[in-house]
Order: sequence, then structure tokens, then C-alpha cells
Amino acid sequence: MIISVVKTPRNSDGAQRSSYRQSYRSYVGAVSRLGLTSALTARRLNTSRRAPRAHNITDKVSPEHLAVLVKKEWQLSYVTPLFQFRHTQLKRYSQQLSAFIAAERQGVAVEVEEPQHSFKASFSVVHGMAEAEEDAETILIQVHSKHHFSRRDDPEKCVWSGWLACINGSPEYIRSLPKDFICLPLFGSSGGDPLTSSVKSWFQQTFDCCFGSLEINHTSLQWLGSLWTNCQPESNIQHLKMIWAVPVVPPLQITYTVNPQDAWELWTCVRKDAQVEKEGEEEEEEEEEGIIDIEEVNMFMQELKSHFYRHFKLDLSAGNLVQVSTALGSAKTSGRIKISNSRYMISTLTLLTECALLKMPV
Amino acid sequence: MAAKLSLSGPSDSDTSSPSDQSVSGRSVNRSLRIAEKERRKNEAEDPFVLALKYFSDVEPGTPVNGNDQLERNLVCVEKVAYSKGLHPEAISIMLEFAMSLRMGSSPCVRVLKCLIPSSVVPQEAVVRAVVWLGIGKIPISTQVLFIKWVLTVFDMIDAKDQLRAIYGFIFSFVTEENLCPFICHLLYLLTRKESVRVFRVRKLLELQSKVGRQPFLMHLLSLYKVFCPELVTLSIPSPMKNAFRNHNSPWKSALLAVQKRNGSQVSSSSLSLTAKDKTNSRKRKHCHLEVPALNSAVNKQAQTDSCSSRKVVPLVQIHSFAQLLENMHRIELPAQMGSLLGSSLTLQFLDCVQDESALLRLNSWLGYALHEEFLFCNDAGSFQNSEEALQFLEKLLSTLHFRQEGFSSIEVFLYKFLNAWDGSLLRPQILGLMSNIPVVTSSQIGQFLFEPLMQLFFTSSLFFKCGLMECLNNMLLKWLTWHSVYALEDDLDISLNSHTSINITLSGFKDSVMELVHFVGRLATVGLQLEGCHSLLLSFILDFYETVCDMFLKYGLPLVVMPPPGVFYPALFAADPVSVDRLAYIMYRYKVNLTSAKRQEKLKEQAFHISRQTFHEFNHYVVVMVNCLWNSKMFHQGMGVQLGEEVLLKSNVPQYSNSFDLIHHPAFLSYAVDFHQKCWPGRKDMDLNSIKHSKPWRWYLEYLFTQGYDGLKQFVQSNISWQPIAGDGGSDDLATQQR
Repeated sequence: MIISVVKTPRNSDGAQRSSYRQSYRSYVGAVSRLGLTSALTARRLNTSRRAPRAHNITDKVSPEHLAVLVKKEWQLSYVTPLFQFRHTQLKRYSQQLSAFIAAERQGVAVEVEEPQHSFKASFSVVHGMAEAEEDAETILIQVHSKHHFSRRDDPEKCVWSGWLACINGSPEYIRSLPKDFICLPLFGSSGGDPLTSSVKSWFQQTFDCCFGSLEINHTSLQWLGSLWTNCQPESNIQHLKMIWAVPVVPPLQITYTVNPQDAWELWTCVRKDAQVEKEGEEEEEEEEEGIIDIEEVNMFMQELKSHFYRHFKLDLSAGNLVQVSTALGSAKTSGRIKISNSRYMISTLTLLTECALLKMPV
Repeated sequence: MAAKLSLSGPSDSDTSSPSDQSVSGRSVNRSLRIAEKERRKNEAEDPFVLALKYFSDVEPGTPVNGNDQLERNLVCVEKVAYSKGLHPEAISIMLEFAMSLRMGSSPCVRVLKCLIPSSVVPQEAVVRAVVWLGIGKIPISTQVLFIKWVLTVFDMIDAKDQLRAIYGFIFSFVTEENLCPFICHLLYLLTRKESVRVFRVRKLLELQSKVGRQPFLMHLLSLYKVFCPELVTLSIPSPMKNAFRNHNSPWKSALLAVQKRNGSQVSSSSLSLTAKDKTNSRKRKHCHLEVPALNSAVNKQAQTDSCSSRKVVPLVQIHSFAQLLENMHRIELPAQMGSLLGSSLTLQFLDCVQDESALLRLNSWLGYALHEEFLFCNDAGSFQNSEEALQFLEKLLSTLHFRQEGFSSIEVFLYKFLNAWDGSLLRPQILGLMSNIPVVTSSQIGQFLFEPLMQLFFTSSLFFKCGLMECLNNMLLKWLTWHSVYALEDDLDISLNSHTSINITLSGFKDSVMELVHFVGRLATVGLQLEGCHSLLLSFILDFYETVCDMFLKYGLPLVVMPPPGVFYPALFAADPVSVDRLAYIMYRYKVNLTSAKRQEKLKEQAFHISRQTFHEFNHYVVVMVNCLWNSKMFHQGMGVQLGEEVLLKSNVPQYSNSFDLIHHPAFLSYAVDFHQKCWPGRKDMDLNSIKHSKPWRWYLEYLFTQGYDGLKQFVQSNISWQPIAGDGGSDDLATQQR
């Protein structure tokens, strides 16, 4: 376990909202929060985003951490801001969570400082993941189990792991929080459900936060498919596989796999068209090169669908995209994600952070 | 000693000898002393006093068998105990006698069983007895009996400080297997934060590993967790009531009987102590609607180390309002702020929470629960299971009602939810929440509220329309009440001090109110058309305008907004007299408000200005009403309703200009007929126009007024110079001082 001192980012400067009287707060409170977070009700997913660049993430993040992050399929949740979470207290949290799991599991009272719990939780900071200045460092949680009969030098088995992250989180939202809150809105877990719910309830009771399931909707899946396809020249995506659920009786699932080179060619066509159009409107958009627009994504998907229609006379628009996968990763609408290549991890997590922030109740 | 004496009460004739000395020491004059002597003489012969003397003086080792004296005295004590209860001194003596085993263990149980206190139990006696527990060779069953007795009379022990001082000594008995459950209960009652220590936690955990998770251990440990969550953790399964099973104690009924006889009410709450009963043990499907349990915060260490000298009280430990008041300044916020919504006591506390972070935590949880239940509902069947949702919203509504304040998360939720709502799911509750929405700035109100509401309004049933009208009326009332409170406080300067980021100025507030009133005007106009001027809807609309017309005088808001013609005319021509009467009342209140506003405007230079347009509208409406109801000039030039002469002739209505005066108005026709019959009982042919003559007209009006049409009365009296005595009926003088 790596424990080191990390400064929790202080997002207080912009957020020092004045302490006006309570009655006023409650009367104009929501309005002021609405003002700060640019009209909560109107929040939508970004309509354009930067194309994923091959991040030299291996330089910044330790290989052990990366190995944990890219190996597994994660079940995603959103988390409301954590109250008084300190990156400096991870050792204590490890102890408390271990005791909590033991207490929940065995239904007995447990001393927190007892060194030998049957489950050993460990918290660690994943350095180098945070992108923006406001992002809090990613936290990795692992639970190892220890068998009573195992020998001392037996390696402990990791039975559960999870992480909390905020990659390129909306700075306005983060700044609008009082300073004793840490925003780590994206939670991924992998392991048995009982342990997941134990960890969640420990977080709920310790940092007064709430966990809700985060599904990856149709639009986000389309985004992921396009973003991954965009990486084809640098790193072979091997295939672009999409699963569509068509609402007929009995329910029909269509798996649609596209050759990587074909997908890339279609994508470049769509990109070119869009770029030409853009240039027609505005001449000097040099740095816009790496920006992908939602219209390009829609067009790409539309072309894929019409290609399918030409062959099978079946309009996929009637269905829903439920899964997208390439060699870089896979994502399911149920909120399960697997990132297979760490080089493009950041852009995926950025999109997912955005989805999680959209779910914030306040 | 003196304190104890007064507790035992002067009326108590059995005051025993040791305490007499202090009493005599206080006596000041001779006569008192004589009385004292007399009393002592009486006491000396009292068998009870003698019995006590026997028990306090009896030599150790006195044989029990065949000891008639012992038997006699014991019976005497028992008799007093079961009838009146034992006074503190007697308790001390008897307890000391029993626990010291001066005559062996056989009378011990009998004595313990009759230890029924009449008022209080002296702490010293209990402490001494506990000490004997450690020294003497008391049989284990008797030890259990003693601890049970302590638990029963716990609330009657006059002080607990010394008992707490020997907490460690009492704790040492937990290892005694048979005593353990009762010792745990006693410790539970005595535990303070400072008594929770690592080694005690370890001892209890060690015990747990031996005897398993016994309820009494778990409960003591859970209390330890309340005080020191950083030391111990456990999860208590919810159906764990009756942690301490001591309810069938042998003294309970006798104690109750004695207390009843003495008329004193010392409730023994320690006995009825059970685990906080979680009413819903059944598995909840939607756990997000469950208010979190009240727990003390684990994570405080980090930031409160510096001020740990200040003693804080976990909110879990607060059980009554009195305790709340006493500890208000040092109550520690719970681990999960959402838990404050769990009980009315914690709600009281919530009212005092000023901490912005704490409120944000609460709002996060509340918003999360609402979003998950009503917006994100992942499982399709969640709306079917709306019983819990209903209860949750009801609880929320009563909380809002109690607090008289909203939560920003509810507001944010509603703005989103209104776009997805079908207008029928949990309608009363959602409308109830909506009426609590605080002032919305006029720039946002349209997008957030009006657009979704308009769609819902035009596509929903009559009942939804009525409900929405009521809701908007309540919302306006709340805004106005808020304004009137803070306008008074701030001397009409609503603009907050300069340090606020968002402030709402008086003019901003006026804009919002105006937007709302205009919005309701639009809804009402179209709604009445859609529903064929339904009188139920009209009634809710008139409710709203009853609020609007009095905004200046009742709530001090310098704003007068007239109803649109789409509301005014349907009310004026309504077929039911109540609507017409209410319209008349509303117009009367408008007049009073406008007159008073005008007066103020003249008085103060900087006073607000009410636009000429408003006066114009008002005057126009008044002229229409008077012409229509009074002057029978329904379709004259300049009236709101104009029809061509030929159209009116074509209608074949005779005397069409009369058709909406107070006699022929469809709402009042039945009254006119009734009046006609009463006035001229003999007449065969009915000529309603004959009421128009000055005298009958006057009578007719008075007749209408006696039917309870006060609005009409006030309207007529304030707008028409009408002298009932002069009999100059049909006067058409309009009061037109407003212009």
C-alpha cells in the first residue's frame, strides 16, 4: 500500500460564498446555486470534446496502479460530494473500513484499531490522474482477505477493489462547493456485491455522501464509440462492436461489428465533411483540430446505421445502443466499463466524470 | 444531610433517630423543642423505628433460626414497605443489613425484596452495597437480585456522581457470567464519554468472542460507539428490541402501588429502556427513501483536536427537548445530516443549524433521495410502489410546515421534475412541495416554473387546475408573508447587505410577484374558457385574487395588480351569487388598498408610484359593475362588453340593458322573486321591475345583505352614495376619487 501526503485541493477561493442570514439563504439559496452551476435544470452533456490523445500516462501514474485500473470491468456509480474527506487520513480510513467490514460481515462489535481483521482494506492515492487544477486526486481502495488457515507468508488475496475519481470535473461546480467538501463524483467498483455495499455504507456514514447507480446512456455510448474509433491510426482498435437492443417481441439484440479500418475511413470522411463545413463558417480555427463535435458523432452513427439498413433493411434508430466495445475498452449501458488501454483512459474518464456530475442532486 | 431530610418530607412521621439531630439543631425556640421531645417520645414507641434500630444495631453472627425478634421486626418493616414505602434512611439501614450478611444470607433475599423506596434512594447506600458485592460472600442469585433492584430504582437514586466514580469497579463484574447482562444494563445507564476506554472495549470484545453476540453486550458496545466511534464499530441489526430483559422485576408492581398511594410520580425510564425501535423491519425496496439512522460522526478527530477540550454531546444522546435546550451550544452534528429529518426533536435542532456545509449535506441527501425516486427511477416498477414515496413526501411536507422554510434541493428537484410530471402522480404532495418554493427571480421564473406548469395546466383535468390555483395562491401567500416579515425587519430595504453575491431587491421581489400574478391571470383566463367558467375553478381563482387585492395593506407590498377581463367578467356574470359577491368584496378591497396607497403617496415624497393604468383599470371595472348591477346600463357606450344595437334586438330579450342588474342577474333572480313574493304576497302577476322603485329597492338591497352578501354590501356602501333613509333609489353617483 502506498500512503503519501497529498494536499487536498482547496477549492475555496472562488467559493467563499458569504454567510448571509439563513432565511435569506433558504429563500434565494437555490437560485444562487442555480446561478453558480449555470442552471442545473439545463445542464447537458458537453456537445464537443477534445479528441483523445495518447497520454503518456505511464510516466505519471505508477504501473501497479495502472495495472489495477485497466485490468477489470468496473461497475460505475455517482457519488455526491464527500464531507471532510482528507487525502492525508487514508491510513485511518483503511483501519476504520477494515473494522467496519468485519463488523458488518460477522455481525459483531469490532475494535477499530485491532491489527488483524479478516478483511484488510487499504486506501491509496493514485498520483498523476488528476487533470485539471480543481480535480481531487484519485483514490484507490482495495480489500484483501486473509484466511484463518493461511500461512503467514501467503500472499493476501485481493477480493474487492474500487476507486473514486474526478477527471476534468466542471470547475464551476467544484468551486461552488464549500471548502470542506471534496468532489470525487465517479465511483467504480469490482468485486462481490456485499463488499460493495459495505464500502458504500461506510462512505455514506463517514462522509455523509450518497451513491446512486450511473448508467452510460445512448449518447455517451455513441461518444465512446466515436472517441475510440478516432484512435485507430495510433493504436489498432481491432474492431468496433456495437450491440443494439431493438424493442420487438421477443426482444432482439443485434451485434454489429465493424472492421477497424472501415470504421476509421468512415470517421475520417465524417470528420472531413464537418471540418470543411466549419471552415466555411469560420476561417481561422487552427486549434480546433482536436475538437470533436456532437454533430460529427451523430453523423458517424447515422452513417453506420444506414449502412446496416442497406444490407439488412433494418433501421437501428428504432433501437437503443446498449454496448460499445473496441480493443481500447468496452462500455455497457448498465454502467459497466472496462478500460483496456491506459493511454486513452483519461478521455474516457473525463466523459464519465461529466455523466456523474450531471447526476448531482445539488 | 439536610437535603435528604427535606426529601424524605416532614410529614413523614417515621423520621428515624439519626436525622433527628439535625432537625433539633435547627429548631430555634422552646415550643418547637417541646414538640420535638413529644415526637421523639412517640417515635420511641413506634415499632417501625424500633425495627430499624434493631436492624442497624444487630450484632454480626446473631442466629437466624428461631429468632422471633428478627421475624417480628422484619414483618414490621415489610408491612411499612409494602404500604407506604421505605424512606431513604430506612433503605440505607436495610440495604446495609442485607448486603453485609450480618445474619447470613438467608434474610438477605427477603430484605431485598421489600426495599420499596417511598421517595428517593440515597446514593451512598447503593455505593456501599456495591462495595459489599465485592467483599462479601453473597450468593450469586442474590447478587443478581441486588443489581436488578438497582436497575429498578435507578431513576430514584438521588445522585449518580459517586456511582459513576466507581464505574471501573462496577465494570469489573462483567466477567461474572450470571451478573453480566445486568451489569451491562447498569453500565449502559452510567456510561459517559470519559468512561469509554480502549481496555474496556477490549474486555467487552473478548467477552463477545466467548459468549457470542448477546444483545446486552451489543447494546453497551453500541453506546460506546456513540461516544467513541473511532474505537469500536458494529452494525446492529434492526429487530433488536428489548436489549435488556429486566422488565419482570419483582419490585415493579409494588413500587407502582406505593407510588400511586403516595401520589408521587417517579417514572422509571431506565426500565422501559429499549433499543430505538425501528418500526419498519421489513426489507425496503427503495432504500434511498429511508432516513438515515442517527449516528455520531467518526471523522471529527481530524479537525476538532484543537477544541476537544470543549465537551460536545452527540445528538444521539439527546432524548428530550429539555436536554436539547440545555446542551444547545455543544451538540455535535451527526454523521449523516439526513438523519435530522427522522424525529421531531432533531428537527427542532435543525432549526438552529446555521452551518452552510451541514445544510448542504442535508440538501445533498434529500436531493439524492428525490432524484433517485422520481427522476432516475431505474427499476420500472418503482412508481407502483408509491406507498413509501407517499409517506416520504408527507413527512417532507410536515417538515417544511414545521420549519416554515424550504430546502434548496427540493426546489432544484421540482424544476426538473415538473418537466417529467404527468400531473397526477402524488398530485397533492407535489403541489404541496411546490407551494413552498421560495421567491424565484423574475428572469428565471418563466423557464423554471411557468413553462412546465402551463403545459400541465392546459392538458390536465379540472381538478388539477383547481389544485394548481390553490398551490399558486399558497406560494404567493408564503412569498408575501416572507416579505412582510423581512420588510419590517429591514425597514423596507430588502436589498441585502453588500456582501451577498445574489440579492433580491424590493423591486426584484415586486417583479417576481407581478410575474406570478400575471401568470395566474393568464392561466385563469384560458382555464375558465376551457372549463366553461366552472364555478369550482372560479372559486379557486377568486381565492387567489383575494390574496392579490390586499397585498398592500395586509403584507405591506407596494403593488396593486388588477385581474384580467378574462377573470373579471366571468365572475361578474357568474350564475352563482357567491362568485358575484366575492368579486364585489375583491373590488371593495382593491378600493381600500388603492385609497390608502394614494394617501401614502401624498404623504411621503419617495413613496412608490402606482401607475395610472392600474387606477384606470380599477375605475373601469367599478363603472362596469355599478352600471351593470345598479344602473341597468348594461350595454352602454364605454362598457367593457359592447354589442351592436341590432344584434341585441335580434336576441329578442326585452329590456336587455336590465338583464344583469341586481334583480335580473341570473345569480340574484331567485332572490328577487322571493323578495317579490314576500313584499307583495297578494299580487298574482309578478312584475320584478316594481322592485326598482325607490322604497322596495332599498328593502330589496337590505334583504340581499341579510342573506350574507357582505361583499356586495361593502362594495355598494363604498362605491355608491346611497342613502337608505332618503329613499332616493337608483342613485348613480360613483365614487371616483381614484384616477
